[in-house]
Amino acid sequence: MTSKPVAISLQALAAIFGGYLLASASTLFLSAILPLSKTEAVITASLFSFVVYPMAIIWVYARQDVKRAWLGMVMPSVILIAIAWLLSRGLS
Amino acid sequence: MQNTEKTPFRQSMSALHTWGSLIAGWMLFVIFVTGSIGVFDEPVSHWMQPERAAILSTMDYDPASAADRQAAVGKAQSYLQQVEPNGHLWFATLPDLEDPAIKLFWQDADENPYQAKLHPDTGELLPAAVDRDTEGGHHFVHMHFELHSGTLGIWIVGFFTLLMLVALISGVIIHRRIFKDFFTFRSRKGQRSWLDAHNASGVLTLPFQLMIAFTGLAVFVSIYMPAAIFAHYDSPGAFFAEVFERPVPREMTHQAAPVADISQMFADAEQAMGKPGQFIRVEHPGDSSATFTVFGLFDAEALQGRLVLPSSGMAEFDAVTSEQRHVEAPGAEPQGAAFRTQRAMRTLHFANFGGYTVRWLYFLLGMTGAVMIATGSILFMVKRRQRALKEFGHATQRVYRVVDVLNVAAISGLLIACVGYLWINRLLPLEITGRAGWEVSLFFALWAATLLHSALRPVNQAWREQLLAFAALCLLLPFVNAFTVGEHLLSYLYERDWRAAGVELTVIIFGLLALKTAQKLRRKTAANDRQAASVNNEQVGVRG
Repeated sequence: MTSKPVAISLQALAAIFGGYLLASASTLFLSAILPLSKTEAVITASLFSFVVYPMAIIWVYARQDVKRAWLGMVMPSVILIAIAWLLSRGLS
Repeated sequence: MQNTEKTPFRQSMSALHTWGSLIAGWMLFVIFVTGSIGVFDEPVSHWMQPERAAILSTMDYDPASAADRQAAVGKAQSYLQQVEPNGHLWFATLPDLEDPAIKLFWQDADENPYQAKLHPDTGELLPAAVDRDTEGGHHFVHMHFELHSGTLGIWIVGFFTLLMLVALISGVIIHRRIFKDFFTFRSRKGQRSWLDAHNASGVLTLPFQLMIAFTGLAVFVSIYMPAAIFAHYDSPGAFFAEVFERPVPREMTHQAAPVADISQMFADAEQAMGKPGQFIRVEHPGDSSATFTVFGLFDAEALQGRLVLPSSGMAEFDAVTSEQRHVEAPGAEPQGAAFRTQRAMRTLHFANFGGYTVRWLYFLLGMTGAVMIATGSILFMVKRRQRALKEFGHATQRVYRVVDVLNVAAISGLLIACVGYLWINRLLPLEITGRAGWEVSLFFALWAATLLHSALRPVNQAWREQLLAFAALCLLLPFVNAFTVGEHLLSYLYERDWRAAGVELTVIIFGLLALKTAQKLRRKTAANDRQAASVNNEQVGVRG
């Protein structure tokens, strides 16, 4: 069991840094798969991150479960970055 | 019928809204108020530069004359060549009918910024007594997007903008009766009234608040979310070159080479663009990689009503060999749906697409947003003053005190600093070196003083005294103006100077509103005291 201040801090960190990680990962993923020119894909993916980030924060706070919050941010980020990385290697 | 039962989800969102907004509220109030004033940066700068009219009427320089413009570029070069021959950057803005100075901005090799103003006819430094050295209305714009702290400030503002989006979304989730709340206002009901004011100002302007927060992030998208840019490009510079279809910025070669006569290149650039140039730039002067760029006149009138602004024209040269590298025709449209969308969002955020009508709308909606934020922060404490919730155990009262102190300093204190900035502009001697910087420093000093005052006084007195101080500063401003530079509301109206009159009139209205609020607060405090006294008496009576 973690104490209350620690749990609150961990949840806030999941929202702020985990959320930013997920938003960045979604940007990398989208910019790799969108069937647009390179600049257009980059701009679209980057702008969309401002939808992903607040939604990620809302999700983190939807339930008071710190472990679930961190997993929910890191797991999809790892998968999205891995796919984006594989796609960029496959194309170059 | 009201269903007060809360699901766990709504309960979490309520906590997120309360605590997230409490932390974000103070900074967001600053961002909203300075941004709303910043909408009028041009009229505010105009009010803050009372000596301008005299230079404008005596100068020979004619912005419409190609020879005069070319000569001004030559004057800029001879000055910059002397002070910073090997800088990182030279930048100059040519005079126009609004601002007579040749405005120079440059960076030394370590990218430290400097600026100066030259007389359009002589090319000599403009003495401070002739053209007041001030940041003018730009001060509010800079507070709004970077808190006068450069890239760090941009990140801080971005972080709080994100919290704003989260607060708006969680706020919508916890208000299931959102449209009903729109029509609900119960005045003189204490806590209920604060909640109704918070809801009404929030719901009424919700679309604007969402738009302004999102487009604010979109303006700096390449700073806030650079992941994809770094994944696909060698540098942000290469990305922008591709987006704008312009040459990639050249790396320094560290081989010395003098900058050629840029006034000749300027004339060639005007020829190539087929229109007057307004801004010039030399990147790493003194290096053999130096480039010279001319940007065409930005004609705001002609672009009214357009969200995706076409290019104003630009031409780029090798600054050493004078060889032309690139020409962008004026009127060229940005290409690509995503890029055009981002450009449209910029224009939407900057409020410069529809003249004064749009500016006033943004000002009112932005100030309503500030009211939403302020009432929210005040509501937090009104609720807890009636019934302490003991969220922090033994420290609860201390935390509440900090919230109270910061509420006063962030809300009424900021307002004092903003109008105080206009006083400073009139009272600070003209000859001081670095005067513009002093104005801004004194703005911060005044703000810090309101924090000190708020920390030393009981909260109700602090509110009332600061509101009264703000009202006095607003209502006395025309007198200060009259005593220092001999202008005031009536003279502005007589001269048909609507911009300066508008600034002063708006300040007076804010002063009257603050006066009214302070009076209300006094009646309220007095009534509360009476109530408290009578409760005490009853208790004494019961005991007796």
